[in-house]
Amino acid sequence: MIISAPFRDHNPRLAVLAVAMLAGFGLLLFALFRVQVLHADRYGSRETAQSLRRIRLPSARGEIVDRAGVVLANNRPSYDIAISLDQLGRISKRQDAVRIAEANIFSISRVLNLPVAVSDRDVRNHYERRRPIPMPLWKDLRTDIVAAFVERAGTLPGTDLIVTPVRQYPHGTLAAHALGFCGKAEQSPDDDEETFYYYQADTLGKQGVERAFDADLRGAPGGRTIRVNPAGMRVGNVGDKPAERGNRLVLTLDSRIQKIAERALTHAPLPAGKELRGAAVVLDPRNGEILALASLPAFDPNLFNPGTPAATINALLQGTAHPMLNRAIGAAYAPGSIFKPVTLLAGLEAGTVQMSDHADCTGGQQIGNRRFGCWNTRGHGRVDAFMAMMQSCDVWYYQEGMQMGVDWIARVATEFGLGRPTGLDYARDKAGLVPTPDWKRTTQGERWWDGDTAQLSIGQSFLLASPLQMANVAATLANGGQRYRPFIAQRIETPDGQVVHQTPTAVLNRLSAKPQNVALVRQTMLQAVESSQGTGHHAGVPGLRVAGKTGTAEFDLREDGRTRRINRAWFIGFAPYDNPAIAMAVLIEDGVSGGHTAAPVAGEIMAGIFKRPWTKTGGGAYAD
Amino acid sequence: MPIKRYLDQLKRMHGLLTFAMVVLIVGSVAFIYSASYRGPDAPMPSLYKWQVVWFSLGLALYLVVALVDYRLVCQWAAVWYALAIGLLLLVLLVGKSVHGSKSWLGFGGFGIQPAEFAKLAAITALSYYLFHRTQQQRRQWATLLGAMALVGLPVLLILAQPDLGSAMVLLPICFGLLFVAGVKVKHLIVVALIGLALLPVAWWQLKPYQKARLTNFLHPERDPINTGWNLNQSLIAVGTGGWTGKGYLQGTQNQLGYMPRPVTPSDFLFTVIAEEKGFVGSVCVVGLYVVILFSGLRIAAEARDRLGMLLATGVVAMLFFHVFINVGMTIGLMPITGLPLPLLSYGGSFVLASMTALGLLQNVWIHRRVY
Repeated sequence: MIISAPFRDHNPRLAVLAVAMLAGFGLLLFALFRVQVLHADRYGSRETAQSLRRIRLPSARGEIVDRAGVVLANNRPSYDIAISLDQLGRISKRQDAVRIAEANIFSISRVLNLPVAVSDRDVRNHYERRRPIPMPLWKDLRTDIVAAFVERAGTLPGTDLIVTPVRQYPHGTLAAHALGFCGKAEQSPDDDEETFYYYQADTLGKQGVERAFDADLRGAPGGRTIRVNPAGMRVGNVGDKPAERGNRLVLTLDSRIQKIAERALTHAPLPAGKELRGAAVVLDPRNGEILALASLPAFDPNLFNPGTPAATINALLQGTAHPMLNRAIGAAYAPGSIFKPVTLLAGLEAGTVQMSDHADCTGGQQIGNRRFGCWNTRGHGRVDAFMAMMQSCDVWYYQEGMQMGVDWIARVATEFGLGRPTGLDYARDKAGLVPTPDWKRTTQGERWWDGDTAQLSIGQSFLLASPLQMANVAATLANGGQRYRPFIAQRIETPDGQVVHQTPTAVLNRLSAKPQNVALVRQTMLQAVESSQGTGHHAGVPGLRVAGKTGTAEFDLREDGRTRRINRAWFIGFAPYDNPAIAMAVLIEDGVSGGHTAAPVAGEIMAGIFKRPWTKTGGGAYAD
Repeated sequence: MPIKRYLDQLKRMHGLLTFAMVVLIVGSVAFIYSASYRGPDAPMPSLYKWQVVWFSLGLALYLVVALVDYRLVCQWAAVWYALAIGLLLLVLLVGKSVHGSKSWLGFGGFGIQPAEFAKLAAITALSYYLFHRTQQQRRQWATLLGAMALVGLPVLLILAQPDLGSAMVLLPICFGLLFVAGVKVKHLIVVALIGLALLPVAWWQLKPYQKARLTNFLHPERDPINTGWNLNQSLIAVGTGGWTGKGYLQGTQNQLGYMPRPVTPSDFLFTVIAEEKGFVGSVCVVGLYVVILFSGLRIAAEARDRLGMLLATGVVAMLFFHVFINVGMTIGLMPITGLPLPLLSYGGSFVLASMTALGLLQNVWIHRRVY
């Protein structure tokens, strides 16, 4: 046993040690408080940044229906086979993971007898950037392959059958230009990438109403928050926010009328060897609703879904007939004689025209040092205002046009909405052009000649208008002088049918013309169709009072360095005459004449709309 | 009857110390379980069961060491010391490499870390050495240098493994003992200054990974993938604990594997507690250590003789250093060294060493002067 020396209590240095230790613990507690309480937010966001990922869940696009509820665009399921790279087990090295994934993809492709459709780079990119979400290997598979896959699913490692909505247009090319089409959205510009670290693209409307009402149709994307481990593999779901289905768009279009219009266009009697390029617009003159908006040739919007070979799309985009061009609103043409009702109304308003005014048509008119021909080179003889409209006599209009002057014509044309977009709801349509002396001086550097006025009065010169604009001219005459804003979106409803938006009808302006003058113009148009000598006779429908006007505008088409004179064949009209329910314009880009080519198309459309028998085949003699 | 005497002595044990120790032991098993937890379906590593085994052995050792009079224990100080040096030499020759340092002495499937026992041996040897110096002698350079030589040998051997952290622990033990033994403060300051002056030389001797570990706590963002990773992830885990934590078995940082899996139960167990129990849990842990260490200082102050006081002080210094470094490293206050947290961290050798050390404290307490 050690003999203890007497021990002194209260070693002061122990107290020093105690103070030092107390200070040490105090420091620890302060540092812990700083990290855990004061800066907890900072570490919270750092943890979120490294271990939480949000996956965007695309929403199902809302459907588009016509005024009767006929579905024009909806979604169908696409069966895709996808591989989950994060279920391939614990793989430490990237090269290994990609190699194993590729080996798996190869073996699946052999089992299903499908060629591998993804490249090494695709796999590597997906592994790097989008690891926790399944990588699609084959999209939109046939049902027999899907069945084969389902049978063997258990033996194929890490694969899944994924059903994704794909935009579908059940009627194919019907109203394709109005509907437009969809594509994959580019990396969304308005969502920050951090919240949607793993981005799954929405379907985005690229053209037509799909584009114009994209925000309504698209719905709200959902989100899935997942937790990932340091290797980027998914270890669990933190929360789901389901995607919200997009709203339903109800169009003013009537798919029945649309079908009639498109079919009638294909019946247009074309000159031999010409391919059909044309448009037809049917409006309700009582409110501006677009009942049909046809443009041919058309395209199948279903082709723009993923899975269509790029070559097919390119052929569409670069086709010489420009099938993607919406000729009804996206191009402006010289209207020719369908402009004559405007000129006539201008003259009546100017007071220079009496209905009884006569002209002696000898098949042409000398103005200045140039002779301007009438389409009827043999001459119409002695014609008054009614005859001039019925027979579309150019000479009468040359003389009256020069009397009333360009200002009156331009003023009334502008009141009809020519020379500016119609205010269409879903796209900016072509403005066209109403030429004036000022316009000519500033853009052409040339003065306005009397010949220009003469040309303008028969709808030529520099005048340009789209089929929609001309249909609206017809509608304005039909309803007695109110110009409505044409629209195609009747209303927008939530998926359960609540109306969230109803497009109001809007009168853009009323013609300043006296009602009796408008009535006179309407009468001349009635005769132009009803009279057996009227140029619009081919548009006549038995048992229906149709008013209208034909037009044939000469146009010098430059193609492959050569200039070719072609005829724009037009018809505008409305029916029934006494209480018009439809107004329309038909254009064939390269026809024989309005009376020969466009009038029978219009007649067939109207007969179809009003369910009258239609037996005419059109054609016949050249008639303006 | 010796049995009856031992039972009497057990009744005189420092109850608060034992209480704090038992709470920490229970916490240790619970949070080693949580540190290994990977979700409801994942297989559960049996680490926590082994920790129960270590604690059972440790508890036995604790009681034995508490009861055999420390004066008797210290009489054998030279033997313990020689034994520890022998083991340290042996580990250098036939030791197993774990995480880059040759610190394990394996027998079959088991292994011990001689450095942990060297710490205890150094405490007894130093206490015994200083106890046998007169007050006069203790104020002279010779005593100081002798003590430093006594500690220097194991320090060098442990550094050779290399296990920087364990080697460093011996220095505060030595300084603490010299300080309470009455060595002139002036002398201690001189030694400390010489040590500081030699730091650049020591730095030059370090291996690159050691340098990285020592500097990365100052700049964890400099190398976030490798050496800075552990610290960054530990900081995020502790920081996201907030006031009350994410809940038991809810520590995402740990479960998802952001915390380094192999060393979390040993080196970063505090991180798991802080993540799951928040600042409240941190305060409880630190509070339990305060209870143990201040009980230790009281035991030192009330010791029967200088030997007891020195012994208790040495134990307190060792445990304090471990706690301060380990907790400090989880929040970037201290460099990342592999120093475990007494009683909480997983590890057989250190559990046994810690409980032996606490047994020594109880021993000094039981055998204190009782008037």
